[in-house]
Amino acid sequence: MADAALRPLVELRDVSKDYYRDKFRVPVLANTNLDIPRGEFLAIMGPSGSGKSTLLNLVSGLDRATTGTVRVNDVDLGSLSESKLTKWRSETLGFIFQLYNLMPVLTAAENVELPLLLTGLTRRQRAEHVKTALAIVGLSERMDHFPRQLSGGQEQRVAIARAIATDPLMLLADEPTGNLDATAAHEILDLLGQLNEEFGKTIIMVTHDPRAARRAHRILRLEKGQFVHTHADALGAI
Amino acid sequence: MKFLPYVLRNVLRNKLRTLFTCMSIAVSLFLLALLYAYIEVQDELGAKSVNYHRIGVVHANGLTFTLPISHVDKVRTMPGVKAAIPLAWFGGVYKDDKLPFAQFATDPQFVMQVFDELTLPDAELRAWQGDRAGCVVGARLAEKKGWKIGDRIPIKGAIYPVDLNLTLIGVYDGPDSSDREMLWFHWTYMDELLKQSRNAAAGAAGTVWVKGESAEVLPEVMRRIDERFASSDAPTRSMTEQAFQQMFTEMVGNVQAFIRNTALAVVFSLVCVAANAMAMSLRERTREVAVLRAIGFSRQLVMSLVLSEAVAIAFLGGALGVIGAKILFGIESVTSTLLPIMPVFYIPWSTTIFLLGVSAVIGLVSGIVPAWRAARLSVVDGLRKVV
Repeated sequence: MADAALRPLVELRDVSKDYYRDKFRVPVLANTNLDIPRGEFLAIMGPSGSGKSTLLNLVSGLDRATTGTVRVNDVDLGSLSESKLTKWRSETLGFIFQLYNLMPVLTAAENVELPLLLTGLTRRQRAEHVKTALAIVGLSERMDHFPRQLSGGQEQRVAIARAIATDPLMLLADEPTGNLDATAAHEILDLLGQLNEEFGKTIIMVTHDPRAARRAHRILRLEKGQFVHTHADALGAI
Repeated sequence: MKFLPYVLRNVLRNKLRTLFTCMSIAVSLFLLALLYAYIEVQDELGAKSVNYHRIGVVHANGLTFTLPISHVDKVRTMPGVKAAIPLAWFGGVYKDDKLPFAQFATDPQFVMQVFDELTLPDAELRAWQGDRAGCVVGARLAEKKGWKIGDRIPIKGAIYPVDLNLTLIGVYDGPDSSDREMLWFHWTYMDELLKQSRNAAAGAAGTVWVKGESAEVLPEVMRRIDERFASSDAPTRSMTEQAFQQMFTEMVGNVQAFIRNTALAVVFSLVCVAANAMAMSLRERTREVAVLRAIGFSRQLVMSLVLSEAVAIAFLGGALGVIGAKILFGIESVTSTLLPIMPVFYIPWSTTIFLLGVSAVIGLVSGIVPAWRAARLSVVDGLRKVV
């Protein structure tokens, strides 16, 4: 158990990912190796098409590597069946998307409750979790508002509340500030920082925004499917 | 159950589309309810008629040929026969009625013995028996026409070249399933008029109706009747009341098969309409489905959510149409106005429940392809899609 705790939360070993466009092989990631320790706030930067989102998809088990191994919390994702992977995702990960991706027909509270419906919690317990998650993101007063009644920043906060409702090990954020104005983006980054520091959530954030990336402990830069800079280099290049 | 609010919210997501889908299902199932109820009511009436131990005797060549009145007396004397009457269709026109009601020439001495589930006050029966130009009518017909005892009812002959000038003497009533829209008058009155006009139809009883002593004797009585007249000028074909009703229905073709085939075509087209609406709805929600899958909703769960939504929409439409029909045709005045040619009509519960089940099946079948596609959706591609 002690060994497992010392091991990185995320381990990528010689991971490659190819896509096929008609008959043509398009390599997206090539022999990528990466360790992400528990509790780290990692930012991944890079131009469009560099493989950032693909990396996120592989770590989240939404996609499978062409070669190599992806291990998260000591689980080899390649060995899991589709249904086990789905269950594992619901128990381990929280997703934050650029376009928030809230269900427009549900209120803020109902959106946050969605992943909790997959658990064995009672209605009362689910309500407690929803209340707590919305309180953490500062939206206790907006529980009954529909997404259309919220600002972009508030929608993203609801999305974050949904991501943390099940108390996952790791948050995966794909351009979480990409659709927000500077003030709202700042607030969201503060919130992510708080989740990392106070609640110990491991966060992997894909971003184009250098200001957002600076909030992370470490920045990795991807180009043509390979990491090309480490922390200091990446910041220098920005 | 915990997913129900989400399913219902999606049902109401695009209210106009849901309304149109529901209405197309509602209107079609309303019509199907009428067609299926017709079959069921005929079957139920046929089944109930078994309890009345009645036999219908027609000419062996069919209903267009008539039996002579002498047959009636001969049948009355046969063992196992409780009563027998002539029942001749007059088919006249009352005032400017577009749809004629049933008028039968019969024998007032015995008719209440043959149709003993019907009731006619003794005083009215005796008065009718003593008045050759008198008639009695069913309660529903009297109500529909606004007739009272003593009213004059002139009926112009359409099949026969004679007119009837009748006086309403009595009103009979009976169970809900009985035909209470008939008019009965003296067979002798019609026969006199026909003789005066030297019409060849004089002396014809039309059909003969027999009340048997019990259900057990009916086969033997039918055999005896047909055997007795086999070598006469008017050979007979006897059948139970249930078989008679079936024969009558089948005169207009194989109605049941026609209705069932029509129903299948309607159900198929409804499946297409509902499937199209579901497919459109899910196409607009590709990203949402991908998000559900990403946060841990399994393929089976996504599929059952989509199927539940499709079933909810179809069931809503079905309930609207079928229960609407049940309520509407439960009101007697509505039934007699909308379906004046049906003396007994209602939507049985069995039809209601069956068609509600059909609407759920329509939803289920219409949802299969969209649900399967949603469940098979690539999460990565779905998240990339910007609608």
